[in-house]
Amino acid sequence: MDTVIKTTNLCRYFGAEDVEVKALDNINLAIQKGEFSAIIGPSGSGKTTLLHLIGGLDNPTSGEVELSGINIAQMSGTTLSNFRRDHIGFIFQSYNLIPVLSAEENIEYIMLLQGVSQEERKSRVQDILETVGLAGLGDRRPAHLSGGQQQRVAVARAMVSEPDIILADEPTANLDSTTGIGLLEMMRELNEQRRMTFVFSTHDQKIMDRANRLIDLRDGKIDNDSRA
Amino acid sequence: MLLTFRLAYRNLFRNTRRTVLTCLLISCSLAALMLVDGLIIGMLKVMVDTTTKTFAGEAQVHRQGFLDSFDSDLYMSDTKSIEAVLAADKRVAGYSVRTVTGGMISSANNMTGGLIYGVSADREAGVSRLKEAIIKGKYFTGNETEILIGEDMADLLEVKLGDRLVATLAEVDGGDLSQALFRLSGIFRFGMREIDKGLVFIPLDKSREILGMQDGGHEVAIQFFDATDAANPDLPLFQKLSDGDIEAVGWPDFFPQIQAMVEMVDYATLIVGIVLFLLASFGVINSMFMSIYERIYEFGVVKAIGTQPKQLVQLILMEALVLGLFSVILGLLLGGLSSYYFSIHGMAIGEFEFEGINLADRIKTELTFAQFINFPIYVLLLTIAASIYPARFAARIIPSVALQRSL
Repeated sequence: MDTVIKTTNLCRYFGAEDVEVKALDNINLAIQKGEFSAIIGPSGSGKTTLLHLIGGLDNPTSGEVELSGINIAQMSGTTLSNFRRDHIGFIFQSYNLIPVLSAEENIEYIMLLQGVSQEERKSRVQDILETVGLAGLGDRRPAHLSGGQQQRVAVARAMVSEPDIILADEPTANLDSTTGIGLLEMMRELNEQRRMTFVFSTHDQKIMDRANRLIDLRDGKIDNDSRA
Repeated sequence: MLLTFRLAYRNLFRNTRRTVLTCLLISCSLAALMLVDGLIIGMLKVMVDTTTKTFAGEAQVHRQGFLDSFDSDLYMSDTKSIEAVLAADKRVAGYSVRTVTGGMISSANNMTGGLIYGVSADREAGVSRLKEAIIKGKYFTGNETEILIGEDMADLLEVKLGDRLVATLAEVDGGDLSQALFRLSGIFRFGMREIDKGLVFIPLDKSREILGMQDGGHEVAIQFFDATDAANPDLPLFQKLSDGDIEAVGWPDFFPQIQAMVEMVDYATLIVGIVLFLLASFGVINSMFMSIYERIYEFGVVKAIGTQPKQLVQLILMEALVLGLFSVILGLLLGGLSSYYFSIHGMAIGEFEFEGINLADRIKTELTFAQFINFPIYVLLLTIAASIYPARFAARIIPSVALQRSL
C-alpha cells in the first residue's frame, strides 16, 4: 500500500524552556492511502496539534512530516499554501464556510485558487453538491442552511479539489446524532468509492465505530495504534 | 478577481453600520477638503482681484529698479512699441501707460506731497477702478487742466470742485522744478487710505509735457482676460516685453505680500488636507482592523484551505478600494453640492481687510478641476494605503493559531 502520511520523530513543544509543554513528543506514524483513520484521546492529548502538523498549518519543533513523499515540515509561505490547496482538504468542527458566499461559491472558491476554468468549476460544483445530497441548495448562503447541510458543504469544499488527504477536526461535534451518522456514512462511502484518505481528530464514538484505524494519543505520545 | 470583488463587496456590508460610518468619515473629509480649498481659492481670488483691479493692474512694465525707488528718471522713452505688443496680444484685456512722479500739490489753503500719476482717460478706465471711484465731479473729459484727487487729500487741502490746485514736480533728466495749474474736476474714494490721501491723477499728455518726456512713461499697467496669466512668470508676453532694462512682471512681483499670502494658504490647505486625511485614514485602519479581528478564525480557515497571503492582501485592499469608491462618490456629491451652493450664494465671513482694502464680506467658493479629480484620487489612494497595514496583519495570520481561537 502507498503511504500518504508519514511522520518521523515528530515533536511540537510550546512555551519557553522552563515551562515547556510537550504537545507532541516523538510521533512516528504512517497512514496508507484510502485509510479511514481516527486520532483519538482525551482533551489536551495532542490530537488537534497532530492534525495541524499533518495539514501543514503549523511547523514542528523537530521531526519530519511527509505527505505523498514530500517533506512539508520546512515549507513556508506560498509554497505551503499551494501544497495545502492541491493536496489537503480540511473539514472543521464549526463548518467554517465563508458566510458571505453561497454554498456553490464556497465550494468553487478553492478551485478558483487552483485556477480551474469556469466551465469545469461549475460542472464539478454541481456534481459534488449532488454527491453530498445538496442539489438545489447551492445558491443558499450558510446562514440559510442547517448545521448538517453546512457541514456537507464543508465536506464538498474539502473534496472538490480532489486532494490526497482529508483532515477532519471533530467534524460531528456540533451535529445531532442522526445528522452526524448521516454525514459519516456519506464520508465512509466517498472513502470507499474514491479511495480518499480520511484522518479524523475526534472524541465521537460514532466515528471510532466506523474508523478502520484508531490512533490513541496520551500526553503527546501514541499510546495505542489499532486497526479494525 | 470577480470573486475577490464579490467577496470584498459582501464583506464590507457584513456590518453595515460600521461601513456607513467609515464611509461618512471619509466622504465628509473629502467634502470638507473640497469646500475649504474652494473657499481659500475664492478668498485669494477676491484678494488678488481687489488689489490688482483697484489700481495697480495684474501686471506692469517699467524700467528695472523703478519699483524700488520710484525715481522719475527711470522712465521708458518709447512706450509705443510696448503698446503695439500689448494691443496684438489676445490675452490682454486692457493696458494703460502712466507717468509716475512725486510732487507737491498746493491749494489756496494748504499743501501736501503725493504721487502724481499721468493717465490716459480711456485706457485707464480699462485697467483700474479710477472712473468708478469718482464720488464728486467728473472723470477726465479731455480738458488738460483737469485733476483728480482723493477724498482725504481734498479734506486736507480744504478744496472743493472747481478750486485751483498747483502741482510742483521735478522734470525728468534735468531735474528742474516745474509747476502747472489745474482745476479740481473730480474727487475719488477707493476706500484705501494710501490712495485716497496720497495719489493725484492728471491727464497723460499734460504730465508728459510737464515732465518733458514726450512719448515716454514710467509704467504700463496691464489687465488680462484670465488673471492666472499674470501669475505665470514664464508667460511669453513677459519675455517679449522684457528688453534690456525694461521688465514686465506679474502681480506676485509687485505685491509680494499677496504672493506670500498665497503661499501661506497653500500650506494651510496642505495642513488641513493632511489633518483630514490622517483622521480619515485612522478611521479606515480602525474599521479594517475591527473587521479583520472579527474574521480571524475565518482567515485561518481560508489560509488553511490554500489561500496565499498575497491573495488575502488583495482581498483586504479590494475591500478598501470598494469602501474608497463608495466614500469618494458620496464625498463628491456632498463636497460638490456644498461647494456649488457657496459658489453661487457665497459664505459669510464677516469683515475682512487686507493691505488696507476691505474685502467682500461673502466669499464665493471656486470650483476647480483638482477638487473633483485629484482630491478623490488622493482619497482613494489614501484609503488603500491605510489598509496596507491591516492587510499585512491579515496575511501574517498563522492558520493554526487562528483556528485555536474558537476551539
